[in-house]
Amino acid sequence: MSSGIRFDRVSVAYGKNTVLDALDLTVEPGEVMALLGPSGSGKTTALRAVAGFVRPASGRVFIGERDVTGLPPHQRGIGMVVQQYALFPHMRVAENVAFGMKAQKVPKSEIPGRVAEALDMTGMASYARRFPRELSGGQQQRVAIARALAIRPGVLLLDEPLSALDAQLRSGMLGELARLHRELPDVSILYVTHDQVEALTLADRIAVMDKARLKDCGTPQELYRAPRTEFTASFVGNANLLPVRVGSGAVSFGATDLKVDTGDVAQGATATLCVRPHLVGLGDGPNALSGRVAEVQWRGATHRLYVDVAGERVKADLRELRTPPGIGDEVTLHFAPEDAVLLGAGVTDG
Amino acid sequence: MLVHSRKGKLATWALFLVLFLPLFALPLLVILAASFSAHWSGAFPSGFTTGHYEAATRGESLTALTTSLVTAVSASLLALAVGSWAALAAASLKNGGKRVLDTLFMLPVAVPSVVVGLAVLVAFSKPPMILNGTRWIVILAHTILVTAFAYQSVSAAIVRLDPAYEQAAASLGARPSYVLWKVKLPLLLPSLNAAAGLCFALSMGELSATMMLYPPDWLPLPVQIYAATDRGSLFTGAAVAVVLMAATLLVLFGVSRVRTRASYR
Amino acid sequence: MASATLTVRAGKDKPPPKTPGWIWALPPVALLALFFLYPLALVVQQSVQPDTGGTSLQPYSDVFASEAFREALGTTVWLAVGATAGCLVLGFALALIIAFVPFPGGRAVARFIDVFLSFPSFLITLALLFIYGTKGMANGMWTDATGAAEGPFQFLTTPWGVLLAEITYFTPFVMRPLLAAFSQIDTAQLEVASSLGAKPGRIVRRVILPEALPALAAGGSLVLVMCLNEFGIVLFTGAKGVTTLPMLVYSKAILESDYPAACVVAVVNVAISVGLYGLYRVVSRRVGA
Repeated sequence: MSSGIRFDRVSVAYGKNTVLDALDLTVEPGEVMALLGPSGSGKTTALRAVAGFVRPASGRVFIGERDVTGLPPHQRGIGMVVQQYALFPHMRVAENVAFGMKAQKVPKSEIPGRVAEALDMTGMASYARRFPRELSGGQQQRVAIARALAIRPGVLLLDEPLSALDAQLRSGMLGELARLHRELPDVSILYVTHDQVEALTLADRIAVMDKARLKDCGTPQELYRAPRTEFTASFVGNANLLPVRVGSGAVSFGATDLKVDTGDVAQGATATLCVRPHLVGLGDGPNALSGRVAEVQWRGATHRLYVDVAGERVKADLRELRTPPGIGDEVTLHFAPEDAVLLGAGVTDG
Repeated sequence: MLVHSRKGKLATWALFLVLFLPLFALPLLVILAASFSAHWSGAFPSGFTTGHYEAATRGESLTALTTSLVTAVSASLLALAVGSWAALAAASLKNGGKRVLDTLFMLPVAVPSVVVGLAVLVAFSKPPMILNGTRWIVILAHTILVTAFAYQSVSAAIVRLDPAYEQAAASLGARPSYVLWKVKLPLLLPSLNAAAGLCFALSMGELSATMMLYPPDWLPLPVQIYAATDRGSLFTGAAVAVVLMAATLLVLFGVSRVRTRASYR
Repeated sequence: MASATLTVRAGKDKPPPKTPGWIWALPPVALLALFFLYPLALVVQQSVQPDTGGTSLQPYSDVFASEAFREALGTTVWLAVGATAGCLVLGFALALIIAFVPFPGGRAVARFIDVFLSFPSFLITLALLFIYGTKGMANGMWTDATGAAEGPFQFLTTPWGVLLAEITYFTPFVMRPLLAAFSQIDTAQLEVASSLGAKPGRIVRRVILPEALPALAAGGSLVLVMCLNEFGIVLFTGAKGVTTLPMLVYSKAILESDYPAACVVAVVNVAISVGLYGLYRVVSRRVGA
């Protein structure tokens, strides 16, 4: 048995300040949903509304079939892991993991086995007798996850769980989390992050949030390949956003005509063309753009070129160049028609 | 940082010592010296003796020491219980309620101790509660006086407590009462300890309210010191004062040892 | 747990009736009311109900008219104000040196101040008796040196003796918040100022003093209240010439058994110090000290 999460027009306000505006979102049972957005976008508020630490001004929150809007946190059946771990400093690792079970009066005979199981899953079995202060940040985070899993929650809330770790540990823990979810396919996970890599790696679907509102929701591939809003395009991955005028089967950017799929965007309208920098090539080709190099950055495996084309600065990520162009050089860039996405004006800011 | 030349620094430090030593260090040293001397009629004490301590650790002075210890320990524990309870209750209230509780429990700090003594005397010298003439009235007054300090330090500690612990516990399915006993109180323990030490020291040295209230069979150390100096036995007074300071410091030191063992971070 | 069956925890669908938070505040408030507020109210009541019965403000006019009260009020206020001023000046100077002209043993001094604060105030007067008393150290030195029958230091039983003791005892109460405030000051700021050629006096006035003002205000008002309420120092001085309001409450109640008068003086004393304490709380909350 498992349970999903459903937000039904959930709004949260502090005084006159609306921090979450009528959120409608469903996390299917067993799904990993990432809430992705900049700070202040309302993503953490949404998670805390599920946990019961903020009370919605309006709307309902469901866990499974149960309306939990009015329930205190301890009756909601959730597991939660937060950025600062919040391990109880006066308890050993094993006591931390056993805490939830003791609080819920799980039969005493069952507890040691389940503690061992949870610690095994997170690779912390040999640290059971340690105090949290004797562990590294990454180890503390594993214990926090074991503690949340030990109560066998139907839903797991992860609030920026990796942002206190350094880059190397972070990618290791990302793999661990993915493995855990494969081992526990029934747990629904709501994963709050501001890091697009975490969201793209881990999530089944991503909900993009900005300024207290849900902007976009879809699988990582959908959002990355075919973003529906400028915000999504620029927040999920890098993007060149070029102002264009729509023609038939083509758009005009400055004096250049570019062949792209115009979809259902009306002819004559102004729109934004989104092209990922790594899909831009150097040299002549279909949809060629000529301009002057403004800046060249060497990033090891790639070169990032900034090229001024028709008053816009176009970014191109190219596999490391033997002889990169110099600043001020005249260059030509190109991209394939199928690699561009046209964003109609009507959906630029939803 | 402020004074750079060597000469300037030395002059500043000299000024500091000239101000600091006679004002703050000398009084305590003088009491210590006097407690060991037979006479003090010239510039310096003379005639080393431990006689005053024999007097100070015997008979009525010994009784006064136990009286003070019993009073201070009971008053601190009572004050800690009431003060922590009030502070915990206040922390869970909204702004308005919290401010009311803050004001109520800080009030005893502002009211002169002598007046607290008078008020307790007026209120508990008549039925239904006659405490006047018993030790309980002294313990009660001390409790009232130190509760404010217990409340203040526990309140400050609760503010410093990271709410993430409480929330993590609640998310794991723990009821508020379980969170209080298993998470909040253990985490507040170091602060409760410090508050207990503070209350104890204050109660050990309390004189104002005690002077209004003490029954003949319950004379704490400060009253004993006053009685000794008032009848002219300054040296005995000094010896009892040293006993008072030593007892206070010993307990404070003991409490701080417990604190370092109980602090987790 | 890899094969764990994940179950929704059996939670109650209906939350139990919630007890409002203020219920928990009731027991301690009830205790406070019974043992502190009620006695205090009785004092106010007694102050307007003389032994003859009835309610009148006669005790107030009697007390206000008495020479002893007016003198005590005057003495209390000037002693408190004088001691506060002294504590502020001395405390500022000492804290300044500890914080900005660091010397070996500075931490020990800070620890010593903490210890000092845990001792009762009357110990200072007791010590002063040995130092400046008629037969004390200072007078002893004088008589040894000059052969005179009496030394020149006879101020201990005057208000000046009380003032000295109060400044000594309460200065650490000013130093503690000041040291805390000074530790917040960015020393780089001072270094920049002095590299630009500012003299120490100017740095103190322009950089340090503004930062320290809140702490000074908070510490100063706290010390003012404590001086107004100080009893032990005055009692130990044993001077008949120095009577402060708390001393007057004590002597009226215990020595003369004149409770209504004691209550009147107590009400006046409480009014002054609670008023000032309220001011202190407002000041310290506003400046966050």
